[in-house]
Amino acid sequence: MSALPRPSTIFLAAITTLVAVLLYSPLFVPIVSSFFTVSHGNVDWSSPTLSTYVALAENHDILVALRTTLVVGVCTVILSVVSGTLLALYYHGRRSGRSILQFIIFLPFLMPPIISGLALLIFFREIGLERSLLTVVIGHTVFVLAIVYRTVLMRLQSMSRTLVEASYDLGATGWQTFWRIILPNLSSAMVGGAILAFALSFDETMITILVTGTQSTLPVRLWAMMRLGFSPDINALVALILMFTVLLCVLAARFLIPRQMATERS
Amino acid sequence: MLPRDRRLPLLVTVLAFALPVLFVLVPLAIFLVYSFFGVDQGTIVYTPTLGNYVRFFTDPIFLPVFWNTIVLCVSVAVICILLAYPSAYFLTTLKGRWRYALLMLLLVPLLMSYVIKIYAIRSILGLNGFLNKALVALGILHEPSTLFVFNMNAILLTLSLLLIPFAILPIFLSLERIPQTLLRASDDLGASGLQTFLRITLPLSLPGVASAASFVFVLAIGDFLTPQMVGGISGFTFGRILYSQFGTAYNWPFGAALSVALAIVVICAILIGERFGRNRGTSI
Repeated sequence: MSALPRPSTIFLAAITTLVAVLLYSPLFVPIVSSFFTVSHGNVDWSSPTLSTYVALAENHDILVALRTTLVVGVCTVILSVVSGTLLALYYHGRRSGRSILQFIIFLPFLMPPIISGLALLIFFREIGLERSLLTVVIGHTVFVLAIVYRTVLMRLQSMSRTLVEASYDLGATGWQTFWRIILPNLSSAMVGGAILAFALSFDETMITILVTGTQSTLPVRLWAMMRLGFSPDINALVALILMFTVLLCVLAARFLIPRQMATERS
Repeated sequence: MLPRDRRLPLLVTVLAFALPVLFVLVPLAIFLVYSFFGVDQGTIVYTPTLGNYVRFFTDPIFLPVFWNTIVLCVSVAVICILLAYPSAYFLTTLKGRWRYALLMLLLVPLLMSYVIKIYAIRSILGLNGFLNKALVALGILHEPSTLFVFNMNAILLTLSLLLIPFAILPIFLSLERIPQTLLRASDDLGASGLQTFLRITLPLSLPGVASAASFVFVLAIGDFLTPQMVGGISGFTFGRILYSQFGTAYNWPFGAALSVALAIVVICAILIGERFGRNRGTSI
């Protein structure tokens, strides 16, 4: 593709720059506002301040919502990684019923969240389960399960069968093979899947709005606040969340990518 | 030992089937059944009826909104692809590390909180927002306009902005899969850059474009948060009508019927994307 004439390259680069600007402008606005005073769309560049961060530390509502989000995230990760891994182990190398079950697992991920959320809302009402953090965790787990399942299954499929056969040949029992051979080989895929699951749970809004009780997670809290407009300390929160998510993204890439490249090479 | 050993796999099998069925299939099935119920003075009547579907097709409100929403989301998909294709193409002209670094750069905004992005975009599009300031400064507008917020335009612009990364990735992957040997052969045979692009690159990347369109469309049509936040009164989409059945209108069975209509459109879009998104003959 190096045969491209120059004007077209410039055109492509210009569009790409435009797209990058468009994508980053919504992130840029709150971050700038977190350090500078903004009034009526004008930024006062002369006086950088950290006052928004101080205000954030005193915003009780937001901190409670943040804690709720973290609790939900951790529970979701534990549930989805355990069940996703078990399901992947179960359906790996099994033909009967696999494609149908796989389809079912992927449904909540493919369907619009408003449909998954409403279906769960009605389901919880029908079985008499009060809306609470438990229902939120179930909703999130159902939503992210497909990602964990798929991540672990792909690693299982790329794993060499000879490892397991060698383990049996050397006299290991099924459990020993599982703990010493299969699980260590899956661990990085499980960590990567866990990070993805956490990131999705952290930002999940629609299902949460529908199935939550009185406690709200951070996105739901922000959603409720947005009607009235945000106070400046929200900008500080946005800047912190952005840093946190970029960190998560780098971690996920570290756990998921190098190993895949390594297996491709071998 | 033996009987226990035999019972354990049975338990595992039951669990492996039961969990997804209980928490995914059963709720969706109940939801589907609900769409055949009715409502009488605020309570749900559990007698099967087709009334909700008849209402959906005969009431003059719902079909036009449904259709307008589909048109809106197709437009979002077109805008996203028009912006994403040149960007993805540019990425594939880069070498090694730069290519993936820039790809990451364009995908990272996906991880940022959805609600906050909507809020920021709304402030950019608003009367005092950056867009109006820029247009006035450039002399395109004489005074700030409310053309970009609290209407259908706002939904179109916001959704496009939010969903571009979902279009970039599949197009990039399909462009990257095109064998370099084909492009070199075309060059050797005397084709110009434009001819090579139109006859080789573009046709071979169309599966990626189809997947991208299907992704963006499905995500756009299922979204409720964006139209609710930037749509104002005039930007009424199907998602908002659907949601209102579970809030102010309080008609769950009718809401369920609307969801079924939405689900059918989504499934069709996914199937079309799947059908045309499969790459044929690129793996030479």
